[in-house]
Amino acid sequence: MVTRRQTLRYFGAGLAAAGLPRAAFAAADTDKRLVVILLRGAMDGLSAVPAPGDPAFEAARGGLALPNPLKLDAMFALHPNLGGMKGLYDAGELIVVHAAATPYRDRSHFDGQNLLENGSAQPYGLDTGWLNRALAQIPGTGRPLGVALNSHMPLMMRGTAPVTSWAPSLLPPPDGDTVQRLAVLYGETDPVLAKNFANAQGANRVVGGGGDLGARAFIGLMSAAAKFLTTPDGERIAMVEIGGWDSHVNQAGAFSPLSTNLLTLDRGLAALKSGLGPAWKDTAVLVVSEFGRTVAMNGTQGTDHGTAGAVFVAGGAVKGGRVLADWPGLKPADLYQDRDLRPTTDFRSIAAGVLRDHMGLHGAQLAAVFPSVAPIKPRDGLIRV
Amino acid sequence: MTIQGVIAVNRFGLGARPGEVARLSADPKGWLLAQLAPERDLPAPLRALPSTVDDMSVFFKWLRQVAVEAKAHGMDPYNLRPQGAPGAGMAGGDSGFSIEREYVKTFIPRYAKAVKARFDTAVATERPFFERLVHFWVNHFVVSGAKPGAIAMPPSFERDVVRPNVTGRFADMLLASSRHPAMLYYLDNFRSIGPNSKVGKDPALRAPRQPEAFAVPRMAGLNENLAREILELQTLGVRSGYAQADVAGFARVLTGWTIAGPPRVPLLRLVLDGRLDAKGLFEFDDEEHEPGPQSVLGKVYAQSGVDQGEAVLADLARHPATAHFISAKLARHFVADDPPPALVARMAETFLATDGDLKRVCAELVTGPEAFDPVPRKFKTPEDYVISAARALPAFSTDPGTLLRAYGSMGQAPYNPPGPNGWPDVEGEWLGADAVWKRFEWASQAAQSVASAVIDPGDLASDVLGPSLSKATAQAIARAESPAQGLTLLLASAEFQRR
Repeated sequence: MVTRRQTLRYFGAGLAAAGLPRAAFAAADTDKRLVVILLRGAMDGLSAVPAPGDPAFEAARGGLALPNPLKLDAMFALHPNLGGMKGLYDAGELIVVHAAATPYRDRSHFDGQNLLENGSAQPYGLDTGWLNRALAQIPGTGRPLGVALNSHMPLMMRGTAPVTSWAPSLLPPPDGDTVQRLAVLYGETDPVLAKNFANAQGANRVVGGGGDLGARAFIGLMSAAAKFLTTPDGERIAMVEIGGWDSHVNQAGAFSPLSTNLLTLDRGLAALKSGLGPAWKDTAVLVVSEFGRTVAMNGTQGTDHGTAGAVFVAGGAVKGGRVLADWPGLKPADLYQDRDLRPTTDFRSIAAGVLRDHMGLHGAQLAAVFPSVAPIKPRDGLIRV
Repeated sequence: MTIQGVIAVNRFGLGARPGEVARLSADPKGWLLAQLAPERDLPAPLRALPSTVDDMSVFFKWLRQVAVEAKAHGMDPYNLRPQGAPGAGMAGGDSGFSIEREYVKTFIPRYAKAVKARFDTAVATERPFFERLVHFWVNHFVVSGAKPGAIAMPPSFERDVVRPNVTGRFADMLLASSRHPAMLYYLDNFRSIGPNSKVGKDPALRAPRQPEAFAVPRMAGLNENLAREILELQTLGVRSGYAQADVAGFARVLTGWTIAGPPRVPLLRLVLDGRLDAKGLFEFDDEEHEPGPQSVLGKVYAQSGVDQGEAVLADLARHPATAHFISAKLARHFVADDPPPALVARMAETFLATDGDLKRVCAELVTGPEAFDPVPRKFKTPEDYVISAARALPAFSTDPGTLLRAYGSMGQAPYNPPGPNGWPDVEGEWLGADAVWKRFEWASQAAQSVASAVIDPGDLASDVLGPSLSKATAQAIARAESPAQGLTLLLASAEFQRR
């Protein structure tokens, strides 16, 4: 386990590199792009990806089943608000993974998110994030290869590999002379502030000024992510998050918070694809939430915290147009603890498959990303070759 | 000026106002302990805020207005979503309906006024340790305006539940929180109905009694949200040994703990009829309460009615896991991200020995050797950063809109944490590239706004940072090309951001 103090020391070691302007670096360390979208609050996988082909579906879901889902195959469909993602599926650029979960089996959002982000089998099992450890495996020059589109740093991105963060600003930038003086002062007094200050200057050059108010929304952040990922010496791995999935109450209906959030996710992915342009073909996107929700409706026309849910793998690099599911069924006897969709796929095997076949990580490197007593077996065939 | 004085005012307070370090340096510990006393009067900025009844009813009034408008447009009033809640951090698809604009127009000024009152209180207070504790507990018993219906409620929750109990017993604050309509609304308990209760068994009782525009037939069933979060976030802490069966049992215990008004009788009707006062906002509805004994943490609670829930809450409040959880959280908030185990153990012992006397627990927090460790182990949160800068800068002022934008751009909108676990409390969350830059941008603006006042940045730095001011920072400030630049460097310095 890496302690906070060790992390500080690593930060210090990266200082010299962090102080250099971006242009001083050679071409990108990799052409492959990876975007991870974290849905905080536990997305209801059976609303995003219903299974109307399961004979038990209608009885199990009752009033939660929406009319007019977008049919994917004999078993599965997409929520009607995921029209853009249906287009990706038809174009062979989206894999839907169902009945997937992390190893977490309790029902706390915060423990569940912590475990999903730290990549171990325990909440608080590690104090660095799996995406940062993946970044650390990519040989680099010391410049940040990862960016969190966020005003604070999510655990998934925290660790020894240099990362930056960016979110839109509402204030005019301070004058250059003060910037220089503060950079010098931080260099003399506080290596952690110095490194982050240098990274922020770099990020501002990519996005060009403070951004705008509209970019605060998820869709705008996805467009900004595309800018980082398409800058010649820019970042190659981005993390974006969107909250508001905790649909305890009134979740069905075209304008419920859940339906609105799904529409936002759909439009955000479209904005990313459009912003990436030709780089889309080198891109994989992972969309994941901490856990799924109860199969049945609760007492308030919503769902409570559950276990397995849906994961999306999208992008031009993805061998899509498929639903991957070792389907556990929805009959009462099939459910996990009599209430949840039973998990049959470990999210880490999906992420490891993408990291191996898309980002080029191998055995020992993957073991560092997802440390586990029984090694995580990467899922084959997620990426076009 | 002593380093202990600087530590007291920074680590346990809200940063020094000019002259403050010098004043309290003689007895920093005594200065902190003296603040552990109940508040005699509500601070003036808070007295100007709307009443609890007003906070509770404004959303329902707005809902009715929206329902009327939706119906006029032939839309289903139950499936419209208000958006643009501050701190929500995102905007979804546009429903094409003015509900979103109306929501912003109705609630943002109200929210901005509450945030400004909180800021003004914190900047002016002479009891900053007490105020920090208020902020701590508001971030513990979380009611967040990020949930649209709760947007107006956090200030009244703070006034009714937190401020009166900061130096009282933990059990009292827990009970007050669990009975408060804002909490019952935020964590959905007001909708939770015992399946075997009278209302649960009779659909006719769940039908709307009045043909109100937004009355909907209700389902009979449990909502576990409040029960789970009390166990996980407010008392025992997660992974402390309770199981799903305990959550469900406790949720059954809490059925019937609801808000006077919706949905049995529309709250709006009570408000309009003038039949509602703040005291009457909590209601125990026996007809919704799941009958029979329930088991929580291996103990059977056979009480009937509201007594059953009060008995469970009383036991949770004095549970050893709660003592440890609360003590560790306080120590993490004030002293170090990895709180010293010895300090936590002493605080937990005090908690158990005094039946959760928070005055004694907080006294233990500032009495031990860990409290005045000269190495700063905490990085200020964005809100504390802004407040401490405003306290340091003479003649600084800001308007509610500018203040909201500052907090928003730094990622911490007061009263609006994303979830019921509140704002994170460790450096790793708050210290990233964007965070450092946003503070610098704001510091630069703040410095320019006061630079015309007669301030010597070097003198001010010595005054508010005392012996913690490093030679390098003092020199950088002294060599600044303008007072504004000097003040910017002061506010952005490591010494000012860490504590």
